[in-house]
Amino acid sequence: MYSHDGPAQVLKPAAGGAARKPRSSVAFGFGSPADDSGVGRLDLNDILIRHAQATFLMRVAGSSMREAGLDDGDLVLVDRAITPLHNHVVIAIVDDGFVCRSLVTQPHDVRLCAADASVPDIVVSADTGLQVWGVVTHAIRSLPV
Amino acid sequence: MLALVDVNNMYVSCERVFRPSLVGRPVVVLSHNDGVCVARSNEAKDLGVEMAQPWFQVRHLQRRAGLVALSANFELYGDMSNRMMTLAAAYAPRQEIYSIDECFLDFAGVRGNLTLLGRALRAQVLQWTGLPTSVGLAATKTLAKLANHVAKTAERKPGSYPSQLAQVCNFGELSAAQLEAVMRATEVGAVWGIGRKTGARLRDGGVHSVLDVMRADPVALRRQFGVVLERTVRELRGQPCLGVDEAPDANQQIMCSRSFGEPVTSLASLTEAVSGFASRVAHQLRSQRSVAGAVQVFLSTSPFHRQDRQHSPSATLALRPPTADTRLLAAAATRTLEAMFRPGHRYVKAGVVLVDLQPHARTAGEPDLFGDDTPQPATGRDRMRLMRAMDTLNQRFGRGAVDVASAVRAARRPSSVARQEQRSPRYTTRLDEVITARA
Repeated sequence: MYSHDGPAQVLKPAAGGAARKPRSSVAFGFGSPADDSGVGRLDLNDILIRHAQATFLMRVAGSSMREAGLDDGDLVLVDRAITPLHNHVVIAIVDDGFVCRSLVTQPHDVRLCAADASVPDIVVSADTGLQVWGVVTHAIRSLPV
Repeated sequence: MLALVDVNNMYVSCERVFRPSLVGRPVVVLSHNDGVCVARSNEAKDLGVEMAQPWFQVRHLQRRAGLVALSANFELYGDMSNRMMTLAAAYAPRQEIYSIDECFLDFAGVRGNLTLLGRALRAQVLQWTGLPTSVGLAATKTLAKLANHVAKTAERKPGSYPSQLAQVCNFGELSAAQLEAVMRATEVGAVWGIGRKTGARLRDGGVHSVLDVMRADPVALRRQFGVVLERTVRELRGQPCLGVDEAPDANQQIMCSRSFGEPVTSLASLTEAVSGFASRVAHQLRSQRSVAGAVQVFLSTSPFHRQDRQHSPSATLALRPPTADTRLLAAAATRTLEAMFRPGHRYVKAGVVLVDLQPHARTAGEPDLFGDDTPQPATGRDRMRLMRAMDTLNQRFGRGAVDVASAVRAARRPSSVARQEQRSPRYTTRLDEVITARA
């Protein structure tokens, strides 16, 4: 598994191609997994969740975000620790309900846009402001099996 | 320096994270079987709703003032509590979880501006979990608790204290004159450990403010009120008297937790510890003649061992019917532990909390018509006698002389369904109850 902050590590054979015995402490660039008894099976919690205390699951209802990769019935991971930025898919509070939309910040306004162009944008008025509940980081879709 | 961090109106705040329509409205949370108010929003407090007030006395406010009543959702509160506690733990070398919504942080050895640290903690908990907290900083537990009271009151009632004390109040950075003004403005009954009766007696004796009691002669106080009040006054004067486990009991809950000397990795050791905690809290529960409606178990790894995989779960199981039976409580706690435990983690702390407490008399002998009919190992009366016998033996031969064997696993499985009419979904612990977002 790659860390979230650093670039992915790439494994290449040593130059010269000689069969050099890898030293476990450096060969993988991840510390020393080979002799660390603490290494276990890949865990989706580690892979998908960056901020465990700030992450919540929600269910998507509706298909206006299908083009953005989120469909009706998908489970999404929502991370409240991430500061919402332009083009993030967010969960916003609109009329006391939770709405999933792309956040679009423009010089003169902030709006919530569906991926489906026929769905009107929700323009955030200056007096109510925008309440972003959290940023969507992953979508999980169950396939028929 | 110590900090007392707690969530403002915890249960109501948890509900509001997932139901924005409740923000700004008067809200109360009702205990098991919807009997009494166990949490109130500030708006409900302003309507005059008292803590532990029976619901039927305030029901009329639903129509008249838009009061919203919700049934307690301890699974949700337990999970939100765990998120908050885990975040707070990273701010100080030592954390002592005091109740479902408050913990002490010990900053011994930490340099820097603790007020700023407190503000950072508050901001992080608010952003990450949606829960508003108050932070009180001072030299002793009693003072930290009082500073927290000031932080909360300054925010809720503007004008009661200087506005810069709102949300995060650090007694350590006030001048002697400022501190004196705060103590003069604070009623003596607000002090942790001074109950209603003692407060009334103090007022009869002319002691009204915290400043009054701080200036009273400790020896005279001891003669008249006993050693507990004397200790409280010493704490108010900045002399630490309360050790780790010596805090007065939190309202509405009983807790036992411990940091392990060495990290624990095996389920067997954790089971033993948790089972022991359950026995202790059960004993305390019976000594106050109460039963518990839910049990919370938490575990945590050390946030300071950054190379360790972190896992700090917490889960809450509703008990139906509410019980004070050590075996049932221990069984519920160990089952919860087994469900949370993940091999390969180095746990440094565990705890058991009993919540949703209610007087035993109300439920004694009452047949549970809606419960499942699993045959019980003994009748209720025999069970109470057995528990009494256990308590006596433990008192005589020391705590733990008689305990529940691991046979507890076979004990009756408590149903997790409670009779609660207005309970909100368990948004964070049940997949079929998560929030739906429209897209």
